Amino acid sequence: MNAKTHLTQPLRRPRRAFFSPARMGIYAFLISVSAFFLLPLYVMVVTSLKTAPEVRQAMLFAWPANPQFGNWVEAWSSACIALQCKGIQGGFWNSVRLVIPATVLSVFLGALNGYALSFWRSKWGDILFGIMMLGAFVPFQVMIYPLVAWFRLGGFYNTYWSILLVHCIFGMPLLTLLFRNYYVAVPQELFKAARIDGGGFWRIFLQLMLPMATPMLIVATILQLTGIWNDYLFGLIFAGQDNYPMTVQLNNLVGTTFGERRYHIDMAATILTSLVPLAVYFFSGRWFVRGIAAGAVKG
Amino acid sequence: MHSKKWLAVALAGIGMAGAAHAQNAEVIHWWTSGGEAAAVKEFAAAYNKAGGKWVDNPIAGGGGAQARTVTINRTMGGDAPTAAQFNYGKQYEEAINEGLLSNLDDVAAKGNWDKLLPEKIKASIKIKGHYYAVPVNLHNENWVWFNKAVLTKAGVAKDPTTLDEMFAAMDKVKASGVLPLAFGGQGWQEGITFRSVLLATGGKDLYMKTFKDKDASGPQFRKAVESFKKLKDYVDAGSPGRDWNLATSMVIEGKAGFQFMGDWAKGEFVTANKTAGKEFGCFMAGGPKMPYAIGGDVFVFPKNDKPGAAAAQKKLAELMISPAMQVAFNNKKGSIPIRTDVDLSGVDVCAQAGVQAIKENRLLESDNELISPDAKGAFEDAVSKFWNSNQSVDDAVKAMASALKR
Amino acid sequence: MRSGLHISENSSMKPRQRPRRLNLALHAALLPLAITALLAYVGSVLWSIRISLSSSKLLPRNDWVGLTQFERLFETDRWTASLQHLGVLAVVYLIGVLVLGTLMAVFIDQQVRGESWFRTIFLYPYAMSFVVTGLVWQWLFNPDLGLQNAMHQLGWTSFTFDWTVHPESVIYAVGLAMVWQGSGTTMAILLAALRGVDDELWKAARLDGVSKPRYYLSLVLPQLGPAYATAFMLLAVALVRTFDVVAVMTSGGPGDASEVPAKFIIDHLFGRNNIGLASAASVVMLITVFTVLAPLLYWRSKVQSRKEAGH
Repeated sequence: MNAKTHLTQPLRRPRRAFFSPARMGIYAFLISVSAFFLLPLYVMVVTSLKTAPEVRQAMLFAWPANPQFGNWVEAWSSACIALQCKGIQGGFWNSVRLVIPATVLSVFLGALNGYALSFWRSKWGDILFGIMMLGAFVPFQVMIYPLVAWFRLGGFYNTYWSILLVHCIFGMPLLTLLFRNYYVAVPQELFKAARIDGGGFWRIFLQLMLPMATPMLIVATILQLTGIWNDYLFGLIFAGQDNYPMTVQLNNLVGTTFGERRYHIDMAATILTSLVPLAVYFFSGRWFVRGIAAGAVKG
Repeated sequence: MHSKKWLAVALAGIGMAGAAHAQNAEVIHWWTSGGEAAAVKEFAAAYNKAGGKWVDNPIAGGGGAQARTVTINRTMGGDAPTAAQFNYGKQYEEAINEGLLSNLDDVAAKGNWDKLLPEKIKASIKIKGHYYAVPVNLHNENWVWFNKAVLTKAGVAKDPTTLDEMFAAMDKVKASGVLPLAFGGQGWQEGITFRSVLLATGGKDLYMKTFKDKDASGPQFRKAVESFKKLKDYVDAGSPGRDWNLATSMVIEGKAGFQFMGDWAKGEFVTANKTAGKEFGCFMAGGPKMPYAIGGDVFVFPKNDKPGAAAAQKKLAELMISPAMQVAFNNKKGSIPIRTDVDLSGVDVCAQAGVQAIKENRLLESDNELISPDAKGAFEDAVSKFWNSNQSVDDAVKAMASALKR
Repeated sequence: MRSGLHISENSSMKPRQRPRRLNLALHAALLPLAITALLAYVGSVLWSIRISLSSSKLLPRNDWVGLTQFERLFETDRWTASLQHLGVLAVVYLIGVLVLGTLMAVFIDQQVRGESWFRTIFLYPYAMSFVVTGLVWQWLFNPDLGLQNAMHQLGWTSFTFDWTVHPESVIYAVGLAMVWQGSGTTMAILLAALRGVDDELWKAARLDGVSKPRYYLSLVLPQLGPAYATAFMLLAVALVRTFDVVAVMTSGGPGDASEVPAKFIIDHLFGRNNIGLASAASVVMLITVFTVLAPLLYWRSKVQSRKEAGH
C-alpha cells in the first residue's frame, strides 16, 4: 500500500446501515442546525420577491402574493444608483479582476510565510510574526491614514496596485497563522527526509509542502476570497474609481440614509453578490477529502 | 504630522494629470436613491450641457460619513475630487483651517451672494470673510408627520399644529387602539426628536442657549427633557434600532399616528402615492412660527492642481446656485431652494412653511453649525442613554451639559 | 506513531549551520513579511500612538496633549460600556462558535450524504455582507414582526424572542447573530484538519473497543490543537473587529447597551471627526489584546522549549 492510492480517491468505507439510530441522530443534528442557519436566508429570499407595498406591510415570513423575479433582474441590471441605472453589475468584472490575483497572491504569501516560519528556524521570523499578529488587532480603519501616506510616497495611491497591495497586507497575519499552525502538525521526519533527498528551500516548498497543504489552501482561499470579494472600504479608498469593486455599487444601493430604502431590491442584490463566494464553497468539496496528507506520510 | 506637509508632498509628487478632459468634474456625493438621485441628475445634465463632463462618484453610507471620509482621505492622498458634498455646519471647518479648500470669492462676487443669500446661510459658508462652499438646498429636521385617517378615527377634530395639541391627539389615538407614535430607536432619530421637543418647549431662545451658549442649566431645558421622556409612553416595544423609513411606513399604513422626522420623510409618502393634506398631514414641531433650523447640503471644492480643475469648480458653483438649477434640483429633492428670487410654485404645502421662514427671516443656525460633530455625537449619546434607561432627569441634564462642552 | 503536537523547530540545524544559499532564500522569502510587519503594522501602531497623544480632530495635528484623550476616553460611558460588552461577546461568541463549529465539523466528517450542501449552508452566512444580514436579524428579533410574532400566530404564545429591545439582553442577540455568521469558517478549519487525521487511527480504536464519541474526544480533537489555535486567533481578531453587525442590527442600542469598541472607534474616526479619541481607543484595545495574548504566547513558547529540551 503506497501513498499514491491515498492521493487519488477518498478511502471508501464499507457501507453501514443507513437507518441506524446513530446515523439518524447525525442527520437530525445537521438538519436542525441547518434550519437555524437558513432562517435569515429564507427571510431574505422571500423579501426579495415582494413588491414595495408588500415589504411595507412588514410580514416577514409571508410568501409573496406574486413572486417578483424581476426584482433580481432589476438589482443586477437596472436598479438606479445615483445617476446610473445599471444595477450592481457595474463592478462585477472589477471585482473578479481584483479578487483572483489578490487571493492567489495573499494565500501564496501566507503559505510561504507559514512554511518558512515553521520549518526554518529564524529569530527574526518569529519576532516579525509576533508583531504582525499583534498588528492584526489594530482596527483596519485606523490604518487607512498611514497607508494613504505611504502609498502617496510610493506614487501608486489610488491605482490597481495599491488595492492589491492593501489586500495582501491585511490578509497576511491570519493567513500566515493558518499555514504556520497547519505545518506545525506535519511531522518533522517528512521535512528531514526531503532535506536528505537534497531539497532546497524553494524545492521543498513548491514540490512538497504546498501541495500537501491542499485542505488548508482551500480554507485560506475561502477566507480570502470572501473577505476580498465583500470588502468595500478599501476598494473605495485605495482602488480609484476605475477599479471600484462591485461592493461599492452594492453599498450605494443598500446604504442610503435619507433616500428611498428599497428592501426587496437590497435583498436581491445581496444574494446576487454572494453567489460567487457561495459557488466557491460549494465546489470546494473535492479538496476537503481525507487522505492526502495522511497518505503522503505513509509513503 | 501636519497636513500641510502632506499637501506639499502631494503637490511635489507625481502629477496625476492623466488625460484631463477640459472641465472634467469628479463629484463625490451620497445621493444614491429615489428623489435625491433624480435631483443630482439635474445638476449633472445641466453641467454636461454647459460643456463640462460630470464624473459621478456616489458613496452612500453613514449619513454621508463615508463619502466625507473618502473626500478627506483622497485630498490628503493628493487625488482630490473636483467637488464634494458636505452638510451645513462644522464638518468642513477644519479642512478650511488647514487650507485644503478652494475659496469661491470670485463666484460669490459675480453672483452677488452677499445680497442674495439669507444671513444665517451665509454665516455657514463664509468663514473669515471668504466663501468656501456653495449651498444647494434647505432641509429641516423638526417636522411631525401624521396619518389623517388614524386621527379622524380616533376623534381628533382639528389637525394638531403644536406639541401640546399633539400630546392631546396622541392620547385619543392611544385610546382608539392604534399606536400613537412611530419611533425608530437609533441615536440620530432620538436626537432629532429631542431637538424638536426643545424647540417646541422654549423656541429660539432655548435652542440658542443650549447649542450656542452651551448652557443646559435652567428650568426650560429641564422641562424639555421631561416632555421628551413623556413621549416614551406612546411608542411600541419594537422601536429600538428601527430604521426611520420603517417608522414612516407605519404611519403610511395606518399602523401608527405620528412620527417626528425631517422633511425627507415626505419622499416616502410621495412614493406610496399619498398626498399632503389628504392622506397625511404635517406640522412644524415648534409651532407655525417656529425658528427654522438650517439643515441641508453644500458642496466644497478641494484644492486641486489637475489641469482645468479650477475652471470646472467655478463653473459647477455658478451652476448649482443659478435660479434655474435651484428650482429644478429642489423640486426633485423635496427640499427648499436657498434663494427666494425663484419660482416657488412647485414647492408643496409642507415645504411652503420653510419658504415662509426664509421670507420672514426666521432661519436659525442648527446644532450642526454651533457645536462640533464630536460634541453633537456626545450629546446624542446622552439623549439616547436617557431615553433607553431609567436615568433620572437630573443625571441626564448633567450628562447633556457636559457633552455640549466637548 | 504520529505525534500531533510535534515541535516545528528544525532542531537539528541551527541558523548558523545553514548554508548561505539557504539563508538567503529564507530571508528573501521573509521579505514581504518584514515589509508588511514593519511598514504597515508597526508604522500604523506608532502613528496611532502619536495621534492619541495629540488633539487631532478631523485631520492630524502636530501637538502634544499628554493623556487627555485617554482621560476623556474613560470618562465616556459609551466606551466603558463597549469594553464590558466585548467581554460578554468574547465568552458567548468564542465558546459558541468553537462548540458549534466542532460539532458541525465532526458530524460532517461522518461521511454524510450531501456534504457539499451542508458545508455550503453552514458557510453561506460568511459570504453575505452583514450590512444586510444584520438588518434581517434585527427584523427577526422584532417582537411585532419577527420570530416571536410568527410563533405566537402559530399558537405558541409564551415564546419570547425580543432580545434586541431590552438593554440587558441585546448583546446576546448580537452574539447569536455573530455565532450564526462565524461558525462556518471555524467548521471549515476544523474539517480540513480532521481530514488530515489518518483513517487507520479509527480502525485501531474500533478494534480496541473505543466508541466513536470517545474516539473523537480523547484521540482526535486533542490532535487538532494547532487548528483550534488558528480558529481561536481568527475568532479573536473577528471579535475585536466586530462592527457591521452592531451598526446595522442595533446601532449600538438601545442607548449604548450593545456598543462595541470597534464601533466606538469608527464612529469617532469617521462621523464625529475625532481621530485623536479614536486613536486613543485603538491604543487601549491593543494594550488589552497584548496583555491577554502575551501570557498565552509566553506559555506556549515555554512549552515548546521544554519539549525541545526533552528531545
